[in-house]
Amino acid sequence: MRMLGRVTVGLWLWALAFSLLYALHGIGCAGGWHGWPLPGGSAFRWTMVVTWVCFALGGVVVLRWAARLPKGLERRLATVSALVGLAGTIITGSPVIFTSACV
Amino acid sequence: MTNMTTLQRHRALTAIWGTPKGWRGTISSVNHSDIGKRFILAAFAFFAIGGVLAMLIRAQLATPGSAFVGPAIYNQLFTMHGSIMMFLFAIPMFEGLALYMLPKMLGSRDMAFPRLSAYGWWCYLFGGTILIAALAFGVAPDGGWFMYTPLSSKAYTPGINADVWLLGITFVEISAIAAAVEITVSILKLRAPGMSLDRMPLFAWYLLITALMMIVAFPPLILGSILLEVERAFDWPFFDAARGGSALLWQHLFWLFGHPEVYIIFLPAAGVVSTVLPVMARTDILGYGWIVAALLALAFLSFGLWVHHMFTTGIPHMALGFFSAASALVAVPTAVQIFAWIGTLWSGRPELKLPMLYLLGFFIVFVLGGLTGVMLAMVPFDWQAHDSYFVVAHLHYVLVGGFIFPMLAGAYYWLPHFTGRARVQQLGEAAFWLILIGFNMTFFLMHLTGLLGMPRRIYTYSDEMGWTWLNLLSSVGSFIMTFGFALFAIDVLLQIFMSRRTRRNPWHAGTLEWAMPIPATAYNIASQPQITGREPLRDDPDLALKLARGEGYLAEARYGWRETMAVDTTSGAIDHVVILPGNSRLPLITAAVTGCFFLSLLLGYYWLALLPLAGVTIMAWQWLWALGARSDVGPVSIGCGQSAPVHREAHGGPGWWGSRLLLVADGTLFSSLLFGYAFLWVIAPNWPPPALIDGGVIFGLIAGLAVLAGALLAQRVHRVLMTGALAIARRIMRMAAAAQVVAIVALVALGITALPSPTSHAYAAASWALIVYAGVHAFMALFCAIFLHARIGAGYVSVARSQESTITRMFATYGAVVTIIVLSCLFVPMVLT
Repeated sequence: MRMLGRVTVGLWLWALAFSLLYALHGIGCAGGWHGWPLPGGSAFRWTMVVTWVCFALGGVVVLRWAARLPKGLERRLATVSALVGLAGTIITGSPVIFTSACV
Repeated sequence: MTNMTTLQRHRALTAIWGTPKGWRGTISSVNHSDIGKRFILAAFAFFAIGGVLAMLIRAQLATPGSAFVGPAIYNQLFTMHGSIMMFLFAIPMFEGLALYMLPKMLGSRDMAFPRLSAYGWWCYLFGGTILIAALAFGVAPDGGWFMYTPLSSKAYTPGINADVWLLGITFVEISAIAAAVEITVSILKLRAPGMSLDRMPLFAWYLLITALMMIVAFPPLILGSILLEVERAFDWPFFDAARGGSALLWQHLFWLFGHPEVYIIFLPAAGVVSTVLPVMARTDILGYGWIVAALLALAFLSFGLWVHHMFTTGIPHMALGFFSAASALVAVPTAVQIFAWIGTLWSGRPELKLPMLYLLGFFIVFVLGGLTGVMLAMVPFDWQAHDSYFVVAHLHYVLVGGFIFPMLAGAYYWLPHFTGRARVQQLGEAAFWLILIGFNMTFFLMHLTGLLGMPRRIYTYSDEMGWTWLNLLSSVGSFIMTFGFALFAIDVLLQIFMSRRTRRNPWHAGTLEWAMPIPATAYNIASQPQITGREPLRDDPDLALKLARGEGYLAEARYGWRETMAVDTTSGAIDHVVILPGNSRLPLITAAVTGCFFLSLLLGYYWLALLPLAGVTIMAWQWLWALGARSDVGPVSIGCGQSAPVHREAHGGPGWWGSRLLLVADGTLFSSLLFGYAFLWVIAPNWPPPALIDGGVIFGLIAGLAVLAGALLAQRVHRVLMTGALAIARRIMRMAAAAQVVAIVALVALGITALPSPTSHAYAAASWALIVYAGVHAFMALFCAIFLHARIGAGYVSVARSQESTITRMFATYGAVVTIIVLSCLFVPMVLT
């Protein structure tokens, strides 16, 4: 079971990033964060983008960790999962950059 | 190897594992082959009922302005068609196949919890019967298979139609959760020695991932059903916008289950494809590791798509973007599998036998369904096509293509295993062409009716709409498809009753299910093999004979024990011997009592429902008490010159694993409840509530301290048990039980004295729901504490046999954690406001 846990770390990270982004989106819109201006955007936009970038960087760290696992199925699964997790975080989180905030 | 002859061993093992003949055997059997076959037969019967409903739907829509059925009946028809196909056919059909096939493929003798399999079967049968009986009495659910509120709320569905769905489906889902726990533990632990995870058949990988998904995906729907039923029965306004509830909360809870459900249905069927296709292509599957990686990716990504069913509910663009991107992304791991299958065909020498025909049908239909799925994942297109017949066409292409075609391939592939007989030539081919042509004629045209603007679920339409010929042809196609399924059923019956015997392993497959006599014996294999590769039969063509001669593990039939090997979850190294329980009527009786509970609720006798609830608790006690032993056995011989402890005296036995997985499902339900509570705070209209929690801090503190004390005492008991001081352990257990009683009383007092009436506002209803959840778990911890106390007293627990103490500790700790979280949820908003 620990092996299953290790080989899915990247995917867990994506799941966490996805849930957190969606939760922050709901809380931020309800709290009116998009109405709080900051240089380069609003508090809402900055929160979303920073969260997204942090998780993407986390995905890179997981990918490097997975590549150092012992050779075999475990490393292959962990690496692919980390890649999918990273790509998933980048792609599914990318709307934080270009979509309207709370409309 | 023992001194028995092969025949003597067969007789001895059959005496231990067999089922009595007649009705006594029927009601008491817990054998996985029996239960698996029952699930499959019942699922097919429900499929036939669902199919008849589909015929009635198509008869109604064949012509404009049809007076065949009125709107009230039509609503019941399409609701029951969808509900039956999803809950009574697809999931149980795969469960049946898994229960029957898994132990055989894993080189085991049974599933990890045979009585749980049987309990799941009876729950499924009773729950399904309630739904079908409602249909016969004209009070079937009529709000659509996803039961959207407020349509399904009391105001708009005042009869018991919605209650039938909510209670009947929840009853059936108990069966699904039971099967999921059963499948997971069986795959992780009950494999043949040497079968490491990377030597496991792909089918087992698919089922492992599917079962884990079920453990996480079903609880949100169970929670949603409970909340909606409570709203309907007691007027707690979780989904009533006027009192701070939200109809969208139901949609979130439903689709949190509903979208993974699509993959839960597809993945086992894809497992059939990955098993049958390389055999038909006479080669190895291409990209074993890639397929497993794709499965893991699918399992996770499928939980990030649910909002694409809600694109038209007014969700902001950014959130739509998250889910649209995830919906498109999930096509990638699906495509990886498709390419692996095409590559396997390319590298092999495919034979166009009947299972292969169905696989080709699967490719065509499923890929088309997948492509329209990517179209619907795009928000602008979805806005145009939402709730039209285009969606109906898409979902049927995905589900029929992704489930029925592969399962039909699997049916023809494994039927000789079930029957021991060869099939009648040509009938199956005729059935295939009728199904393929009929299906495409029915559903391809629905893409067009959808694009022409025909909404789903309308019971009639006028001639001027321009949908007449398309609908007529769809109806004709559906009847052609029905003839195909009828021919399939006839073909199967002919094979069972009239066909000639076939040889063992007619397909020259390499997996272990063919290393036994067909039809399979009650004990599967006379001895368990040592696995050294992914295709044991190909590695050693004489393996079946060697195992029958007892040249493997556990060849000795002794003490009437139902023994099977348990291994390390990853490496497949020998861990211990599991002694499984024998035939029993407990599953039937427990399911009947559970059924009485649901029936009492359905008929509105809420106070009477407490009686069967108490009955279920008593049955649970009986159930657990029947296990275990009063003395230590020590390591036992397992053959091949080796020995291993029995599961009662080993760490991490099936009970421990099952309890952990049950708590994972429970934790998901709790997380969904927390999500609902937070969702209402953040999104629902008419907040903040008129009244928040008022006082109750003392009761909250008492409850928190009591559950913490209960958990700490349970930890202490385990440590004391390890020293052998049983009397002290019993004394501490009594204190732990007392702590849980205090916690329950304090929680109830907190609710009564400090919370507003649960009918006043969704906040109060949700807060009460949290308190009830914590109270139920304190009760479960109390039950465990009393049970362990009794078991120590009766001599069932020792230093070696300490698993029950570990499980008690697990439940007490879980109860403490959730109670602390519940109390935080109740008091933190009060502090903040």
